[in-house]
Amino acid sequence: MKATIERANLLRSLGHVQSVVERRNTIPILSNVLIEAMADGSMRLMATDLDLQINETMEAASVEVAGSTTVSAHTLFDIVRKLPEGTQVSLTASDGKMQVVAARSRYSLNTLPRDDFPIIAEGDLPTKFELPAVTLRQIIDKTRFAISTEETRYYLNGIFLHVADDGQPVLKAAATDGHRLARVTVPRPEGAEGMPDIIVPRKCVAELRKLLDEVEGTVEVTLSATKIRFGLGTAVLTSKLIDGTFPDYNRVIPTGNDKILKIDPKAFMAGVDRVSTIALEKTRAVKMALEPDRITLSVTSPENGTAAEEVPGEYGSDAFEIGFNARYLMDILSQIESETVEVHLADAAAPTLIRENDKSPALYVLMPMRV
Amino acid sequence: MSIRRLPEHLVNRIAAGEVVERPASALKELVENAVDAGAMRIDVRLSAGGIDLIDVSDDGCGMTPADMALALERHATSKLPGDDIEHVATMGFRGEALPSIASVARLSLESRVRGADGWRRVVDNGRVVEEAPAALPPGTRVRVEGLFEKVPARRKFLRTPRSEYAAALDVMKRLAMARPDIGFSLEHDGRRTLSVPPGQTRPERVAALTDRDLAENSVAVDLVRGDYQLGGVAGIPTFNRGAADHQYLFVNGRPVKDRLLIGAVRGAYADFLARDRHPVVALFLDLPPTEVDVNVHPAKTEVRFRDATLVRGMIVSGLRRALEEAGHRSAQPAAADALGLWQAEPVASPGPAMPLWSQGGEPRAQGYAQFHDRRPTFSPPPMARAEPAYAPLPESVSHPMGVARGQVNKTYIVAEAEDGLVIVDQHAAHERLVLERMRRALEGGTIASQALLLPEVVELEEPACDRLEERAAELAEFGLDLERFGPNAVLVRATPALLGHGDVKSLVTDLADELAAFDQALSLKEKLEAVAATMACHGSVRAGRVLSVAEMNALLREMEVTPHSGQCNHGRPTWIKLAHGDIEKLFGRR
Repeated sequence: MKATIERANLLRSLGHVQSVVERRNTIPILSNVLIEAMADGSMRLMATDLDLQINETMEAASVEVAGSTTVSAHTLFDIVRKLPEGTQVSLTASDGKMQVVAARSRYSLNTLPRDDFPIIAEGDLPTKFELPAVTLRQIIDKTRFAISTEETRYYLNGIFLHVADDGQPVLKAAATDGHRLARVTVPRPEGAEGMPDIIVPRKCVAELRKLLDEVEGTVEVTLSATKIRFGLGTAVLTSKLIDGTFPDYNRVIPTGNDKILKIDPKAFMAGVDRVSTIALEKTRAVKMALEPDRITLSVTSPENGTAAEEVPGEYGSDAFEIGFNARYLMDILSQIESETVEVHLADAAAPTLIRENDKSPALYVLMPMRV
Repeated sequence: MSIRRLPEHLVNRIAAGEVVERPASALKELVENAVDAGAMRIDVRLSAGGIDLIDVSDDGCGMTPADMALALERHATSKLPGDDIEHVATMGFRGEALPSIASVARLSLESRVRGADGWRRVVDNGRVVEEAPAALPPGTRVRVEGLFEKVPARRKFLRTPRSEYAAALDVMKRLAMARPDIGFSLEHDGRRTLSVPPGQTRPERVAALTDRDLAENSVAVDLVRGDYQLGGVAGIPTFNRGAADHQYLFVNGRPVKDRLLIGAVRGAYADFLARDRHPVVALFLDLPPTEVDVNVHPAKTEVRFRDATLVRGMIVSGLRRALEEAGHRSAQPAAADALGLWQAEPVASPGPAMPLWSQGGEPRAQGYAQFHDRRPTFSPPPMARAEPAYAPLPESVSHPMGVARGQVNKTYIVAEAEDGLVIVDQHAAHERLVLERMRRALEGGTIASQALLLPEVVELEEPACDRLEERAAELAEFGLDLERFGPNAVLVRATPALLGHGDVKSLVTDLADELAAFDQALSLKEKLEAVAATMACHGSVRAGRVLSVAEMNALLREMEVTPHSGQCNHGRPTWIKLAHGDIEKLFGRR
């Protein structure tokens, strides 16, 4: 293999693929990126962690000899990153080494045979639809904070996607960690009918979100019950799906919460942030005392003392007190973009529903804390 | 096949299976008989771990020839004068031991009542082979030879003489610890391995039988509740061991192995020791005989308490109270050695101490090794409550932890107390202080619990669910809300907020196991403490930070008033003391 590539091109593509590669690997070849130079003058990069695989296509300045090899992804990325801007990078693979020559720098990198490089067998991906990148960004942004990190309940370690018919066909995305739930509902894209229920793993979500920043227009999604593939311009992300059953989350979305608080999310969040400063513990429990049109936030810390703040809000039901984890509350409030937010409450022990209004695509459920 | 009544010798052999399973258990029965006979001295000789010979002689009341014949009958005893098995005041009472042993070995019984002639009776595997007058001092002597020689099925299950001896020694230690008023000696294959004089106090006896350093590193336990009385000694947390082998419980003078003790001791020391370290304790529980059933098992190592909850509560609170009083005491063998020397006339020259310490750790180790063998035998006064023999500086008089003089390696505070040099590990000490403060805060307020959006079903066995359900209210106080969910599962509705996204299933399973083993929900509290300890670690002064003299003094003053400040969260000492005398030793001045 012998090819020459513009540094900026190579850096951008390597930037996409290198974050898929884990820092530490027990299988050496998983640290590597597969580089393929095609006779038609294009190049392909590929990286995988066996669950997630990324394919990136780019244009080379010239390909003299087509071929392929694998080298350490992080090392190559660091080399290219430090090269001066505007240089041409020449990659030549022969005899188990790959020469990287750019300007006055020369590197000789150890390689591993490309035939050993594992490739995820995609199999048949029967469902195929297109989603605007904006919509996909919205789905991820509004749900990913609620994804669980606890490995014992692995089926919560991702975003659950399924289609439903609520008067009109919709696609729903949900994530929960057992304490809070976030759900986004969007119109069902064409081709998604009959789609199996799937759970997209956390790492795939994170990589996808990074790639989406550079994508405009639409993303092509193809999937089966076990694999999903996202086509994002020059990059193709393929991931295995979490093999598990997502709990029936519709049961926990309260429908009869009759105490409604309408409040400015920015002011509310700032208030929560201010009073929780006093709490030293990891779990900052904030207490909310609701009286007609008077909302008092308070935090008591055994070491530091107390903090209280009144926030303006619209509330007309019976007075009562409820506690929340301040971080959870702020996570949710930071997703709200409108001027007011509706908080539907029932009592101090029941799940609380938070949403912009009854038409908003996103909806959040938060369990209170007993303080 | 017809049913027949078994002959006497078979019945005895069957009984022997329960009472005598190895030489150590035969030894236990014989020594207990000697104790019940009111002996003041009991001498034991063993050979080959007791397999070849067990010889127990005492200076007790002795038996008449007629009694001796009867004593070898089954269910014949002098220890139950009435028919009331509820009021057992002696160690034995079943009347099984001697005939059982006699049925599986060659047993020779010699006894003499004061003022009468001695008599001798030899029984070989159940048959009387000799009866004759014998010459011996008042008391009784029992020789058991060739245990299980004619019972190959049992003989095969005996271990090596070494391990049989180890078991016998353990039995002797327990019995000797129970009765400090009686002198005991043990000779194995001609070598004297244990010898304690009569008329000792409990702490002396316990220390003599466990670890000589225990006397200086222990606190007395003393608690009375109604008819129940708990006494004994408890090692301070920094004096710990890797195995739980030095934990003894005596109920009415009877050595008992009981899981209740293990759980209660773990509960009492839970905050002070790492999970894999074990304290040294010897507890003596005296209670009316009617409150305890010792007739659970022929070997009588298990007992049943009428009010087990009270007993557990007493052990935990007795130990806790004793440890509270230990306050900021810290100890390790080196410090204890140094402590023994402090009473010598001090030379007020803190100057040379500093260069000595800056030489690093090695001189310290050598220094201690030099005077290790010259440790005085008297029990020194409690640490940190020194009499002012000489006050080098006026301000140090009222401060047991002394006045800060400097910082070494940005890690250790060097303070001058009136009786010596105190070295404090600043991180370990401050970590402990922060933890104690946080713990007080935790005790003061309620523990916040985070309700679960999706309640988690944990499947367990039915008895485990029953136990958890029974303690649900107690667990709810710690923020864990449980609910019964069918016969074989519990539903977790809320978890302690401090634990964050823990693994609920393993937490509940652990709790169920602990309730079964110790009848206490330790791990929940331990997990909360662990979170608090991590936070304490992050919130405390690290090693490597330079402290001003005012800061150092503030730390020392706080250590003096904070309970349990003598050890860090893992049972290591937070400070050690080098008395003036020890410093002089290091320079060879004395």
